[in-house]
Amino acid sequence: MKKIFNWMMIFAGVFAAQAVSAQVRPPLSIDVNYSVASPLGSLQDYSGKTSFRGWTAGLQYMLNDQFSVGLRTGFQDFNEKLPRAVYPDKLGDVSAVQTRTLQVIPIQATAGWAFTKPDKPVIPYAAVGVGVANMDYKKYWGEFVESDNSWQFMVSPELGINIPFGQASPVLFNANVRYNYSPYKMGDITNFNSLQYSVGFKFHLN
Amino acid sequence: MTPEESRIYITNHDSQANFKSYNTFSIVDSVAVLSNRNDTAKKALTDYDKQLISSVSQAMQSRGYTLVDKAAKPDLAVALTRIDNSFTNVAWNPGWWGGVWSPGYWGYPGGWYWPSYYVVYQVNEKQTAIDVFDLKNPNADNKYVSVWNALWRGSGVWNTDNVASMVQASFDQSPYLTNK
Repeated sequence: MKKIFNWMMIFAGVFAAQAVSAQVRPPLSIDVNYSVASPLGSLQDYSGKTSFRGWTAGLQYMLNDQFSVGLRTGFQDFNEKLPRAVYPDKLGDVSAVQTRTLQVIPIQATAGWAFTKPDKPVIPYAAVGVGVANMDYKKYWGEFVESDNSWQFMVSPELGINIPFGQASPVLFNANVRYNYSPYKMGDITNFNSLQYSVGFKFHLN
Repeated sequence: MTPEESRIYITNHDSQANFKSYNTFSIVDSVAVLSNRNDTAKKALTDYDKQLISSVSQAMQSRGYTLVDKAAKPDLAVALTRIDNSFTNVAWNPGWWGGVWSPGYWGYPGGWYWPSYYVVYQVNEKQTAIDVFDLKNPNADNKYVSVWNALWRGSGVWNTDNVASMVQASFDQSPYLTNK
């Protein structure tokens, strides 16, 4: 009995909170961001250049003023071309111009917590995404390619801010920093680690 | 990607071979052309082939080996092969295939090594191979064992203008191939 009562209280709280947040902006939002990502660790050894080709897109639902859940996807392209070098191998020495690429497409469920109420001019938040990522690995030796495509687990904690364009505006500017981790192993990559910086917009939908 | 950047040069050697123990070499007077479409090798002597014979001979001499006639019992034999593959989705890995040669047969080495874990999107690929055989130490079957080889793959490997630089690159990455 007590359990049911507790659940009822929780639902009542959620709906009450929703009613309040609805006064500021509708609970459902979409967001689109441009992303720059720095490879870390073994990913940096494989393809060390900062990636300027990336984006993220997501869907979020505010359960109350501060807690939200959602879904998101995106794309990031790591790419580095190395000058001709000889790569010794136990089977031989290979002279090649290597182009090392990795394209990442995550699909994650998210949970977020805003540190302030939605009527504040700046809304800092923390979020975490958990899901999978498609890893498209292509290591070119000259025109010859070693390739691998697989789905991997990926977890991505994130810190960011939302800045509404006016107190009750349904449009918010978003900036965030996200750390991505995946236990992906391929060639020189022993784990996937990247730090991703994004800016974009969030639109609350009626 | 330029044609130069598209090319890869793979070299292998027999780690047991003592390259200082050889003094003389002989080289084929024409190039074997191998196509898996008809499974027969033809000999050719195009401008490309002449350039290839000349560049490889010079490179061997610059490493201290003396060019002699085949009849003069050279220590090493140099074979040159152009390979015209017509198969698709070939798996590849540079590998030491340890080719052997029957005495007196100036043909082409049999057996290329293709492990299955790399995928190549390439059709009608042209390659060129240089094989150096040890004539001093035939194996138990009385066949000559390959001690060094180079394989060129990519765009323009059959282009005469690229021969000198490809030979240079192959020898540069094989500093052990010398009797000095």
